Amino acid sequence: MKYPMRTTGRALCFAAGLVLVSLFSGCDRQDAGEDEIVLKWPTIWVGKDSKAPMVEKLVAEFNEEHAGSIKVEIEPNPDYDGYRNKLNTAIASGQVPDIFVFNPDPTTFQYYEGDLLMDFSEDLKGSWGDTFVSGTIDAATKNEMVKSIPYEQAITPIWYNQALFDKAGIGSFPKTFDEFWAACDKLKAAGIVPTSQMTGGTNAWTSMLWYSHIVAGLGGPDVWKKPFSDPVFEKAAAILLHMYQDGNTTKDAVGGDAAVSGGHYLAGDTAIFINGPWYIGRVKSDAPEVYAHTKVTAAPQTPGGSSGAQIGFLLSNLAAAKTDDPTRRAAVISFMKWMTAPENIKRISMDSGSLFCVKFQVGDEAVDPLQKQFMEAAANATFITSHFQGNVTTDVAAEFGQALGKMVLGEAAPKEFVDQIIEATE
Amino acid sequence: MGRNRSPSLIADRAASLAKWLFLLFFLIITLFPLIWLVISSFKTNLEFQTKPFSIPELWQFANYINAVSISGLHLLFLHTIVVSFASTALNILAASMAAFVISREPFRGHETVFNIVVAGILVPVIALMVPYFRLISGLGLYDTLFGLIITYAAVSIPVSVFLIHGFMRSIPRELEEAAVIDGCSLAQRFTRVIFPLSRLGLVTAGTFVFLFSWNEFIYALLLTSSVKARTLQLGIRFFKSQFITDYTSMYAAIVLSIIPTIFVYILFHDKIIKGMTSGAVKG
Amino acid sequence: MSASRTNWKGIMLFLLPVALLYCAFFLYPLVFVFVTGCTSWNGIRAMSFTGLSNYIKLFGNGTFRLSLRNNFIWAFALAFIQVPLATITAMVLARKPRGWRFLRTVYFLPNVISQVAIAMMWMALYNAEYGILNHFLSAIGLESWTHNWLGEIGTALPAVIAQQVLYIGYFMIIILAGILSIPDSLYEAAEMDGAGVLRQELYVTLPMIRGLLVTSMTLAVAYGLRHFEATYLMTNGGPANSTSVLGLLLYKKMGALDYGQANAIGSVLVLTGGLLIIFIRRIFGRVESASETVQ
Repeated sequence: MKYPMRTTGRALCFAAGLVLVSLFSGCDRQDAGEDEIVLKWPTIWVGKDSKAPMVEKLVAEFNEEHAGSIKVEIEPNPDYDGYRNKLNTAIASGQVPDIFVFNPDPTTFQYYEGDLLMDFSEDLKGSWGDTFVSGTIDAATKNEMVKSIPYEQAITPIWYNQALFDKAGIGSFPKTFDEFWAACDKLKAAGIVPTSQMTGGTNAWTSMLWYSHIVAGLGGPDVWKKPFSDPVFEKAAAILLHMYQDGNTTKDAVGGDAAVSGGHYLAGDTAIFINGPWYIGRVKSDAPEVYAHTKVTAAPQTPGGSSGAQIGFLLSNLAAAKTDDPTRRAAVISFMKWMTAPENIKRISMDSGSLFCVKFQVGDEAVDPLQKQFMEAAANATFITSHFQGNVTTDVAAEFGQALGKMVLGEAAPKEFVDQIIEATE
Repeated sequence: MGRNRSPSLIADRAASLAKWLFLLFFLIITLFPLIWLVISSFKTNLEFQTKPFSIPELWQFANYINAVSISGLHLLFLHTIVVSFASTALNILAASMAAFVISREPFRGHETVFNIVVAGILVPVIALMVPYFRLISGLGLYDTLFGLIITYAAVSIPVSVFLIHGFMRSIPRELEEAAVIDGCSLAQRFTRVIFPLSRLGLVTAGTFVFLFSWNEFIYALLLTSSVKARTLQLGIRFFKSQFITDYTSMYAAIVLSIIPTIFVYILFHDKIIKGMTSGAVKG
Repeated sequence: MSASRTNWKGIMLFLLPVALLYCAFFLYPLVFVFVTGCTSWNGIRAMSFTGLSNYIKLFGNGTFRLSLRNNFIWAFALAFIQVPLATITAMVLARKPRGWRFLRTVYFLPNVISQVAIAMMWMALYNAEYGILNHFLSAIGLESWTHNWLGEIGTALPAVIAQQVLYIGYFMIIILAGILSIPDSLYEAAEMDGAGVLRQELYVTLPMIRGLLVTSMTLAVAYGLRHFEATYLMTNGGPANSTSVLGLLLYKKMGALDYGQANAIGSVLVLTGGLLIIFIRRIFGRVESASETVQ
C-alpha cells in the first residue's frame, strides 16, 4: 500500500519553518533612545475615519518637536466595537494603554473606579481648563476626579430634505408635533416616506436619537436625572411609536440598521433623518443632491413640553494610564495639551468636520455650509442635553432597540416598553 | 468506479432530475454570495445601500485602490500567511499525536482524556477575552505573531482532536498489527502507519484550522497592537470606523483577501484529497 | 495488541503538547470563567463573591430563557437539518457525477469568505424594501407571503437559521472524506447482490460513516450552542430579543463590563453543552460501538 505523502510532508515542513521564523520575529523589540519616553496610543481614528489624517499629522508634528525626548506611537485599531472590547479587556487585565480614547458613558466611566487612570483635575484647574467649552469638563468629572479629557463632542439635530418638503408643499419645518404629523401626511400623499427609523444595529441609533429629542422636549435639560419610571419616558415612547405607524417610516425600519436608516435618507426615499456631523462627509460624497437640500433644525415642540432643545454629548475623551514617573506624566500632559491646543483643534475640526470640546476662533475660512448649520443649531439651542445612550450602560442601550421593536410590533404598550428598559437597568 | 448505474427507467430519470435540481439549488445558494460580493465591491456606497442587487452603473475600480492603499493589505497578507500555516501545523501536529494515543493505544482513562479535550468544543471563545489577554501578555507574547499562532493552534485543538480521532479510529487494526510484529515503537507506528493513513482526517481538520486562523478577527485585534503583528482581517476592518462604514471598499478588500484562501484551498485540500482518493481506489 | 503492557511514558509524551495547550487555553480560562461567574465584577473593582446569585438572576430573566431556547433550536436545526443535507450531498458527490470536484469546491467556498460579507448579503436579501426575496415572491404571485423577514418575531429566527443551515460545505467535507475512504469492493459486492443506489447508500454507506455522522452531529450541537456571529451581525438579537442567543447575551454583558453575569452565562453554556453531548454520545455510543465490531 503506497500513499503519496510528499505534498502533506512538504506543507508541514514549510509550516514548521514558518513557526520558527515567527518565533524570532517576536524578539525584535528594539529599544528606543536612552531617555526617550515612548507613549503608545491605540486609536480608532485611523483608516477611513475623517479625523485620521489630521491626527496623524498632529502626532508627527508633536514627535518632531520633542524629538529625542518624547515619542507618541499610533497603534491603529480598526472596528469600533472591537476597539471597545479591547479597551475593556486590557483594563480588566490591569493593563491600561499609555494613551487612549473612549466613548464616555456609564459603562466606560467605570474605568475611573480603580487606580488605573491618570487624574487631570489639578492640571485642568489653570488656564488649560479655561480653553474648554463650558460644562464639558464637568461632564468628564466623577467624584471630583477628571480622569479623562473631554475631546470630541457631537450634536445631533433633526435633518430634513428641503427639496422633498417643497415637493410635498410644506413650507418650513413643523414647529409642533401636531404640525409634524400633518406634514407627514403631506409627505406621504406626495409618495415620500416621512422619517428614517431603525430598531437594529447595536443601539437603534436613529430612533434612539429621536427618542432622546422627544424626551428632552418633554422633560427639560435635567431629564436624564429622572428615573425611567417618570411619565416623561412613557409619553415619549408613545410619540416614537407613532413614527413607526401609518407609513411614517419605511417597511424595513424594524430590524433595520444604520445602513438601512441612512441609506433611505441618502437615496431620497425619506425626508427626515437624524445623525451627527460625521455624516456630513458621507452625504456630500454619496448623495450631493440630498446634501445640497439638507437643513438641520430642532425637534418639533412636544405637547406640554419645551421647544428648541438639541441633543449633544461627549463623543470621545482622551485618557492615559496612571504613572508614578513625573517625567512620564509631564510627557503625557504635554501631549494632551498639544492635542487640545485651540489652533490644533481648529485644524482638526476644519479638516474633519467634527466638533470639539475646545473653543477656537473661526475667521472667514470656508466652513462647510452644512457644518455651519450644525454650529448654528448648537448656538441657537434653548438647551443641550445628552442622549439616552449616554446615560445607561451598553447592555441597556442594546435593550432599547429590543424594547422598541417589541412595542412597534404591537407586542408591548409604551408602559411595557419603559418597564423593559427599567428591568434591564436592574 | 463501480458506483454508476445506467439510468434506464423513467423513475431513474426522475431521480436523476431530482439529484441535479438538488445540486443546482446548493450551487446557486453558495455561488450567489460570492458573485454578489464581487459585484458589490465595484459599486458606490449609495448604490450598495439602496440597490443591493443591481449591476453597478459605473464600475468603481477606485474601491480596489482604496482597499490596497488604506489598509496596507500586502504586509498583512504576509503575516496572515505565516500565522495561518504555522498555527495549522502546530495544531495538527499536537492534535494528531494526542488523537493517536487516545484512539490506538487503549490506556486506562483514554475515554476520559478524550471527553475532557473534546468538551473544549463547547467553550464560547468570545467569553475568554480577559483570560487570553492575561495569558498572552503574561507569556510576553503580546503583539507578536507567535502569540496569535499559539492562540489559534490551541483554540482549534478540541475540534482537531475530535475529527482526527474519528478518522484514526476507523483505520483497520490489521494495518497496524504488521508494524507491531515488525517491532515498531510507538513513535514509529505513529509516523509510519497511522499518520500517513489518517491524512484524510488530518487534511480535513487542517483545512478548518487554516480557515479559522485566516478569518479570525476578535483575537487578532485583542492580542496585537502594532503593524508588525497585524493580520488581514484587521486590514479589512479599516473601512469600518465609529460611525461610517465604507462598505464597498471593504468588500474590495474582502475579495482580495479571499482569493489566496480559495487558491490555498483548491491547491492543498483538493490536490491532497485527489491524491488520496485515487490511492484508496487502488488499495 | 490489547494484552501488551501500557507504554505510559510514550503515551504521556504524545499527550504532552495537547496537554500544555489545553491547560493554558482551556483549563485556566474555564476556571477563571467559573470563578468569576460566582462574583460581581466589572474588571476594575475587586471581585466580590456572590455565590449563585448571578445564576438565580439569569434564570429569572425572560430574555435569558428565550436565548437558551433559541440555542436549542439552533443546535437542533444544525444537527437535524444541516447535517442530513450535508450527508445527502456528500453521498451524491461521492458517486462522482459530472463536475463533482467543481461542486465540492464551490459548496465549501462560503466557509472561506468572512461571515461579515455573507451576513450582509442575506440582510439585503431579506430586506422588506429592496430585498429580492420579496420581489421574487411577488413576481410569482405570492404577494401575501412577503415579510419584513428580519423584523418580524415569527420570521426572524428561521431567517437567520436558514442563512446558516443552507451552507452545508463544512459537514459535507467531513462526511465526503469518510465516504470516499470506503473501499469500492463493498459497493461492488452490494451491487452484485442486486442492491440499487438507494439501498447501497442505506446499507453500505450509512453504517460505514456512522461514526463520522455522530462526530458531525456532535459538532453541530456544539456550534448551535456556541452560535453567536451571524445573529450578532444580522439582528443583534432583535426584534424584541426573539433571535437572541446566549453567546450574544454574554457578549452584551461583557461589553457593559458586567463580567460576573457574562461569565455566569458562559458557565451555563459550557455545562449545558456538556450534558447535551454526553446525552448524544450515550444514545449513539452503543450504536457506534456495535458498528465498530462489524469492521
